Amino acid sequence: MKASQLRAPSRRHPDRRLVSAMMLFFFSAFLLIALKGELRWQGFALAVAVPLLIYIATMWLPRFFPADKLLLSIANFLCGLGVLVLYSTDLDAGTSRGLQQAIYYSVGIAAMLFCILMVRYVRRWRLLIKIIGLGAAGLIALPLAIGTEMNGATNWIRVAGMSLQPSEVVKLALLLVLSYSMSRRHFWPWLIFTGYCLGVLMLQKDLGTALIYYMTALMMYFAATGNLAMTGVGLLGGAGAAVLGYNMFSHVKVRVAIWRNPWMYYEKAGYQIAQILMAIASGGLFGVGLGLGAPRVIPVYYTDCIFAVICEQFGIIFGILVLVMYGILILRGASIAISARHGFHALLAMGVTVMLGVQTFVIIGGVLKLIPLTGVTMPFVSYGGTSLVSCMAMIGLLQGVASVNQDDMEYDYEISRSLSEQEDLPSAGWR
Amino acid sequence: MKQLHTRFRVLTLIVLGLLLVAGLYGVYSVNLYGRRWFSNSKNTRYQAAKNNVIAGDIIDRNGVVLATTNADGDRVYQNNLKARRAVVHLLGDRDGNVANGVDSFQANYLLGFETSLAERITSLFSNQTRRGDNVTLTVDSVLCTRIVNAFENGSGTKGKSGAAVVMNYKTGAVIALVSLPVFDPQDISESVKTDARHPFWNRALQSTLAPGSTFKIITTASALENLSGITDYTFNCTGATKVLDQYIHDYNMAQHGKISLERAFTVSCNNAFAQCALMLGDSALRKTAEDFGFNANFLFRDIVVENSVYPTTNRNLVEVAWSGAGQSQIAATPLHMCMVAAAVANDGVMMEPRLLLQVKSPAGVTRLRFSSKEYRRVVTEDIAKTLQSYMLNVVASGTGTAARVSGLTIAGKTGSAEASENGVNTTNAWFVGYIDDDSLPYACCILVEDGGGGGSVAAPIASMIFQYIKDNFATK
Repeated sequence: MKASQLRAPSRRHPDRRLVSAMMLFFFSAFLLIALKGELRWQGFALAVAVPLLIYIATMWLPRFFPADKLLLSIANFLCGLGVLVLYSTDLDAGTSRGLQQAIYYSVGIAAMLFCILMVRYVRRWRLLIKIIGLGAAGLIALPLAIGTEMNGATNWIRVAGMSLQPSEVVKLALLLVLSYSMSRRHFWPWLIFTGYCLGVLMLQKDLGTALIYYMTALMMYFAATGNLAMTGVGLLGGAGAAVLGYNMFSHVKVRVAIWRNPWMYYEKAGYQIAQILMAIASGGLFGVGLGLGAPRVIPVYYTDCIFAVICEQFGIIFGILVLVMYGILILRGASIAISARHGFHALLAMGVTVMLGVQTFVIIGGVLKLIPLTGVTMPFVSYGGTSLVSCMAMIGLLQGVASVNQDDMEYDYEISRSLSEQEDLPSAGWR
Repeated sequence: MKQLHTRFRVLTLIVLGLLLVAGLYGVYSVNLYGRRWFSNSKNTRYQAAKNNVIAGDIIDRNGVVLATTNADGDRVYQNNLKARRAVVHLLGDRDGNVANGVDSFQANYLLGFETSLAERITSLFSNQTRRGDNVTLTVDSVLCTRIVNAFENGSGTKGKSGAAVVMNYKTGAVIALVSLPVFDPQDISESVKTDARHPFWNRALQSTLAPGSTFKIITTASALENLSGITDYTFNCTGATKVLDQYIHDYNMAQHGKISLERAFTVSCNNAFAQCALMLGDSALRKTAEDFGFNANFLFRDIVVENSVYPTTNRNLVEVAWSGAGQSQIAATPLHMCMVAAAVANDGVMMEPRLLLQVKSPAGVTRLRFSSKEYRRVVTEDIAKTLQSYMLNVVASGTGTAARVSGLTIAGKTGSAEASENGVNTTNAWFVGYIDDDSLPYACCILVEDGGGGGSVAAPIASMIFQYIKDNFATK
């Protein structure tokens, strides 16, 4: 390569047009709802607050460290979409999930910033990982002791009037523990930690989250070692556990039965999935329109089934586009993982990517009746503080790795430039 | 590091592949089943839309308005009690007691869900309540009324449950579809709701029953296809054929002696067809039945119909032998058996049943025009022609003589299917048949539950239908 062709890896300048379009979209969407029927101050507040938060997260924060612009924009768009859809279902319902979600969103941005800084500046992970691992092990078991049962799973705790879902927070710990031990070729620490988490999740009957933990660990194991035989054993073991679970637990059988034919069990267990299908079908290609339709007849429309609400209001085409956004998110995540110089960073970035991808598949596949529906959240979009904050924190981990990558590349450039200046090599001699 | 990156790429492709599968599956299933999900009577959305949109009219092929919306926004039907009762299952009722009537299954048209964005914006400014599209059916409502009259006044059918379907075998257009007993959609009394015969049930589309001897059309088709020389074979009917430890017997314990396939079809000999089914074997017979649409997932555009069943489990020789005569656990709807007869009449091509003649917006934009669609070829033309000649014999000199109409050539097959309801053995009367005339290409299926012999109870109603078609559909 010619020295003159060695350009500084440009700090990705914020794609102003993309972010402006996003801000305009949310501004007009919230305004539309705010002006519908009667004037709603909440709508006006959100019409200002959401674009502002998007601006802060995608344009202002990247001034202080290099960032992957596209990744940030998509994650923030999905967060904004969650606030928008939740606010539209609040109308005349007496709930204020939209406003709450906006607050969670701002907390999420703070969590993202925290994680970026952590990845950038923490140099000694050894002790930190141990503390995180032990803390997470205690946290995830808390619902068994003081938890409350919600929708058939005991995975919530109440702290100071706020509900918290420990399994969402522990996801971050899982990613850190997995990538740290795997990058140091330690086998037992992560296996014990993952096995422990899976066991606790099984006890809490939180099968969807257990599936996500399990798939993430298995995929990261494959990525780190490339050991196909052991990955196959793990896959078979998972399948065996699924068969065993199907035969042992009656509620798993019910889930599978309603997946095969929800209409047959419409009055009871099949009600939710039947309502989801009717909502998606009612939306058609282009949807019934923002704030219209009857999303609230779907049980837990605000968390597990929010994808059905999106499909009803914006149409199946928009639903597919949302899937495409997750796809781009995954591609960016993989690209960050591949650019990483350190094994820990590479595995961490890949882990985040895989976990977000698997979770998206589990919930959207469930809503579209491709697989049995399990109660997990749709990343960034579903209502819930813990889920949103942990997803933004994962984006923070990714961004942290991305910023370190950028720094490394700039460092390389500085070295090569100073080399070429010192030796004044003839350009023809370079290959 | 390079291998690590390869594995990263593999994982990325796997995860992207999962999302792609989810997206494709979503598009596929919404495309295939979306209409059925949407028009489900449990969907509160289109019920809510009734408050904002004036539902369009439903009109029959001759321009008779079957259902319209009055000034108060209520659905009103024809003034004549007999006329509105006859099409009640076809249209559905206000409260959604009848499943998948035109009023609910075509709600996307009737309630204007198919209007374009431009039309919606125009209506927003016109300050008028939006009107749904008007739906014109292929159905002749007068014929429906006649059929109900024939059922309610016939000596063998009075008070019985049943169904009748009439369709054009060349285009698939359904011109009559009734289910008995009928009820008045404008005044649903308590006695209707508690009637043990379940008047809300649309028997033409929702009742899957043993088709009995009408299934011999399919057994014969299978024999012609798989057993060479079967037309020259002689069966021996002693009145009872022993299979394992049971006896196959004939309706009214008839004995036919030495008998050919053609003759056995004409007189509907169970013994010969039981032997025939045993010669064919279960898999060959099932294959032909599945060609004719048994075990298929019927997803027709205009009509929601139960799937027909040819059983795949618990098949011992007794079951197989009875299958030759359409018993065992074989089950089909009257609409499907009508399609079977229609396919034979149409030289082996089964048409998809269609109900919509056209859909027009209030502004006169045609949203949908009648189009016929081939469902599938069920048998070769040669076999269809042979079946046609057998079915002509049935009406000319066999069990179906009561279906005759002077001046028309009628072909058909009778059935007297044994059923057991609440431990009481009953005999359901079936008749499927068609007019052998290219200018009047109509087929019908009649079912009279607990009616007795198909030839004596069901065939006369078919005769009345064919007479009506001759009088009203012939091009002058």
